[in-house]
Amino acid sequence: MNLLLFIGRRLLFIAPQLLGIVLVSFMLVKSIPGDPAVLMLGPTATPEAIASLRNSLGLDYSLPVQFWIYLQHLALGDLGTSWQTTRPVLEDLLQRFPATLELVTLGLLTAVVIGISLGLASAFNRHGVLARIADFYGLGAGSLPDFWLALVLIFVFYTLLQWVPAPLGRIDIAVIPPNPITGFLTVDCLLTGNWEALRSALGHLLLPVMTLGLINAGPILKMTQSTMEKILQSDFSHYQVLCGIPHRMVVRHALHNALPSVVTIISVLYGYLIGGAVLVEIVFSWGGAGQYAVQGVLNSDLYPVLGFVLFSAIFSLFVYLFVDIIYFTIDPRIGH
Amino acid sequence: MVPQFSALLRSVGHVARVRPRFAIGYGIVVATLLAALLAPLVAPYSPIEANPAQFLQSPDWHHLFGTDAVGMDVFSRTVYAPRIDLTIAIAGTLISAVVGSVIGALVGYYSSGRGVRVWLAYGVMRAADVLQAFPVFVFAIALVASLGQSIQTVVLAIAFVNAPIYLRLMRSQVISIREMRYVEASLVAGLSDMRTIFRHIVPNAIGPVLAQLSVNVGWAILLTAGLSFVGAGVRAPAPEWGSMIAMGFQNVVTGQWWPSVFPGLALAVSVFGFSLVGLSIEVFADPVKRRGLLRDMETARKANGARATRTVAGVGP
Amino acid sequence: MADETNRSVTCLERRQLLKTAVVAGAAVVAPAALRDEAAQAQSRDSTLVIAAPATPQGLDIEFDVSLGSIDSLGPLYEYMLAYDKIPDPQNPDVLREDTAVHPDRKYGLALRGRLASDWEISDSGKKATFKLREGVKSNWGNTFSAEDVKWTWERKFNLKGQGIFQTSVLGLKHPDQVKIEGPMAISFNLEKPSPILLKQQCNLANPIYDSKKIKEVGGSDDPWGAKFLQNQSAGFGPYRLKQLVRGQQAVFEARSDYWDTAPFMKTVIMREVPTSAARLSLLQGGAVDIAQFLQPREYMSLKGDKAVAFDAVNASYMIWLELNAKIKPFDNVQVRRAMNLALPRDEIIRTIYYGLADPQKAPMPYIYPMANLSFFEYSYNLAAAKKLLAEAGFPNGFKTTLSYNAGDPTQEPIALLYQTALRQIGIEIQLDKLPAGVFYENVTKRQKPVIFYLDSPWTPDPGYSMFLYFHSKSYVDYSNYDNPKVNDLIESGLKTLDDSVRKTIYDEAQKTVMDEAPWGFIAYPKYALARKANLKGFTYYTSNNLRFQDFKRG
Repeated sequence: MNLLLFIGRRLLFIAPQLLGIVLVSFMLVKSIPGDPAVLMLGPTATPEAIASLRNSLGLDYSLPVQFWIYLQHLALGDLGTSWQTTRPVLEDLLQRFPATLELVTLGLLTAVVIGISLGLASAFNRHGVLARIADFYGLGAGSLPDFWLALVLIFVFYTLLQWVPAPLGRIDIAVIPPNPITGFLTVDCLLTGNWEALRSALGHLLLPVMTLGLINAGPILKMTQSTMEKILQSDFSHYQVLCGIPHRMVVRHALHNALPSVVTIISVLYGYLIGGAVLVEIVFSWGGAGQYAVQGVLNSDLYPVLGFVLFSAIFSLFVYLFVDIIYFTIDPRIGH
Repeated sequence: MVPQFSALLRSVGHVARVRPRFAIGYGIVVATLLAALLAPLVAPYSPIEANPAQFLQSPDWHHLFGTDAVGMDVFSRTVYAPRIDLTIAIAGTLISAVVGSVIGALVGYYSSGRGVRVWLAYGVMRAADVLQAFPVFVFAIALVASLGQSIQTVVLAIAFVNAPIYLRLMRSQVISIREMRYVEASLVAGLSDMRTIFRHIVPNAIGPVLAQLSVNVGWAILLTAGLSFVGAGVRAPAPEWGSMIAMGFQNVVTGQWWPSVFPGLALAVSVFGFSLVGLSIEVFADPVKRRGLLRDMETARKANGARATRTVAGVGP
Repeated sequence: MADETNRSVTCLERRQLLKTAVVAGAAVVAPAALRDEAAQAQSRDSTLVIAAPATPQGLDIEFDVSLGSIDSLGPLYEYMLAYDKIPDPQNPDVLREDTAVHPDRKYGLALRGRLASDWEISDSGKKATFKLREGVKSNWGNTFSAEDVKWTWERKFNLKGQGIFQTSVLGLKHPDQVKIEGPMAISFNLEKPSPILLKQQCNLANPIYDSKKIKEVGGSDDPWGAKFLQNQSAGFGPYRLKQLVRGQQAVFEARSDYWDTAPFMKTVIMREVPTSAARLSLLQGGAVDIAQFLQPREYMSLKGDKAVAFDAVNASYMIWLELNAKIKPFDNVQVRRAMNLALPRDEIIRTIYYGLADPQKAPMPYIYPMANLSFFEYSYNLAAAKKLLAEAGFPNGFKTTLSYNAGDPTQEPIALLYQTALRQIGIEIQLDKLPAGVFYENVTKRQKPVIFYLDSPWTPDPGYSMFLYFHSKSYVDYSNYDNPKVNDLIESGLKTLDDSVRKTIYDEAQKTVMDEAPWGFIAYPKYALARKANLKGFTYYTSNNLRFQDFKRG
């Protein structure tokens, strides 16, 4: 009951926040120079044709009126149409968002595995070789530009070694993807038992997932290290040590206590990466939602940008909500 | 003056001995700054002049890092690049820190009690929520696209994206300091709110902000490079690491890796340097961590001293 | 309405696409598809896979001339006439149109009938009558008639897209000038004789539509089918559009009811692969048959590869800088000439084009009849440029900006070379990189002092070409060039039938334009095509497009 109240209160905040996000992004995107009517009609259009299209697109109204119209459409689930793909933005996003989500989720999982295992290894033995590697890695990982690391990985593993498929999208051009069920290519392949496509999809995922994993393991590692350190130096850990509890057990208890802050950093990264993986998407021609939005900004294609901002904002808000619910269930004190 | 300076130097040396990574960090940052300042002396060629007779030369003694597709010297461009990258990153970070901290301090100060100002403070925080809910990169590109491509715009975009971080940091600090006795004392003594905030609260709350600065400069460099990579950063041929990587990207597939690998390395190393410096500031500013550092220095000195005595003893007759 | 139908069409066709994709993937076939390997190999053989920089944006030539669109037109539509094909003189494996003047042929041109089976021009040169081919069916099953030709030209008058240029260059002022002379005969009635009346019937921009289908779907909302033709085709060509997913792929399917020889390639898949390096590696890996628009350096890397070949032929492409005559200091002829003298053409061709271009020495494509390269006097000479600048009142140079297309990988390096050269004569030129999507908007707005342009006039005729770029009333006069004398010359050449008289007229026009230098003349890039070595039949057209029906395996 308490939990429901808590969720209800959070949701109450989400609505105005989303409205604010839509408002700011609408104003921002509208201020980008470039006339969509001119772009849609191409270089050969006459002024009359442009004027009539502007009229039918509602570009002649004042900004607040345009915003109001957009909101009305939004309420009906219409996110507008992209002039570049000439398709409804909602359709485009439903197709591309899972691509991004799949990439980001797997990348983050890789980062979690690397980050937490290195973090624990260094907690077990503060002065071992692993701890030193972890120290250096934690500092260095965040310094690499992701798009550059992606390029280097492509150069080494594709151009030189030919170990991975061409960095071109999610699946081999010659392989038939399964009919989309969830939109997550790997999941769809598993569901339909299409092993050929699964192999190809995994091959294509390898480098971008490694890129995201290697770079984002940094913050997770640092967070694990520092919280573990703090907890291991706390009184209760010292007490455990004094009681003669094996080091392994002490660390395990410490980890349990360190988890909330690790979960926090993971959730923050998750929310960030939805938009933050865009450069990696571009390098691998991923065809994800971030790439779609960047193309939109660069080509004065407004609705895809708005749609993407909305999607990712909702996504991160829900990730945060989900994390808060976890806390709430772990630690009922938060409810008060 | 001089003895003080040498004492300072000595303690710097001590710190460097127990925390070599700090030394590396400061070394990198100083080297980057020097590269920016002395670029005309260091760079053998002009960073923006194409030489079609020498395009895509692999690295050799004439062109340490090779040349790019139009024959510009990659080494010279890499050396010149911090001029732009650091200017943008530092300016953007400073603006965001100043604006974010000032607003954060005000919001923190007025976030309890009653009246219009509390509501205002609440509104500002929700606005910051909105800003932070944006996908950072898309927001920055949209800002640059909207305001036009120039260094100033990129600076502004970086300031915008980072300001909420400082706002939150300062706010949380101020909220805790606000309840201190000396704040109350200052108010009782008749100082205005503004004076109290800027004379008594901010100086005590600034530590974490300073530690954040250096780390943020590193992020800002990465963001600048990312913007240039998609073509929303500085104009070509301005030497900038991100745009160099982007321009060289096309050549990697046909085997000419040097136009994009070297600027990437330079970029990574300097960001690494700034994050190490950030780490050191964090240590210096945090009393607990500072104590740890001092303790380590003490043990190092003792060990050292012992060794020194031994050596003297060995040499003695 | 149209959207709704489209969506269901796409859904339905998705399954069919899957089938063709299996075919495309013959190299790595899914187990379920391993029924008949021979048939598989057969169908892979008759499937053409193209790695293209972009899928068609729209399919309506009235509004869209993007790369993917123009490659789709030739396969989807049929034209009234076509040029004979001859082997390319420098590259006998490649065919090209015979666009030369042939005094021995009918009306001096090497033409053959397509939708028109015969044609006559009256002695005055003002009336052309076309007899139309019987029994030709569209991809919607409607039979071709004079009504379709008439409707096609009416559409140009009504939509006022690029078709308006096609009418005005012929001197057509009113739709009634195109007359139905019987169910299978049509005439063009001009006020003045036109030397390009027949040539225009071959122009890629003048496909004939299936008017019955478009009227049916468009109704009164969209009588000219502007919406319908964005995503669909209604023509008499050898292929029909099977699927178009923008940003991903377009699939074409050969029609069994095509009136002429059935094409070898039964299915054509045009895949969008935005980066050229990726297209190259797909071709080298054998996944595609053609990799379009590679960078010159990448073509060079194909030398010595046995499975892959590339052809490069002289083309109608020109790349130049629009020196905006309405923006200071480019209103000054001396300045424009100086800009040309400072253009390092040979270096650009060597380092950026790797020899796959020739210096631009005339204001029209060098492969066109009557092009005269002798008026070019802008060999790279910085001293002369500096002197001209001083005479023009800019002894210390000036500052300006050069805008280029981020989507064209050759423009940035050219801009960098030019910037370096200009700096030496005191001109500080700031580079202004424009995203591909907004680049053309900026070209058409004509508000940038110097902007790149890459284009080609599709009709191989000096009058057509010069009218496009240098007549002050043309919509592509993007450099704001306005010289009444040149206007007159261009117009009078478009009313003259005698080729020798035309030659004198266009010599004078070319000389004037070269002297006044409204452009920074850069280069004639060659048209190059990287393909599998066993893919034969590549034919070069002056509209720089592919026609899938030309290709076969040998």
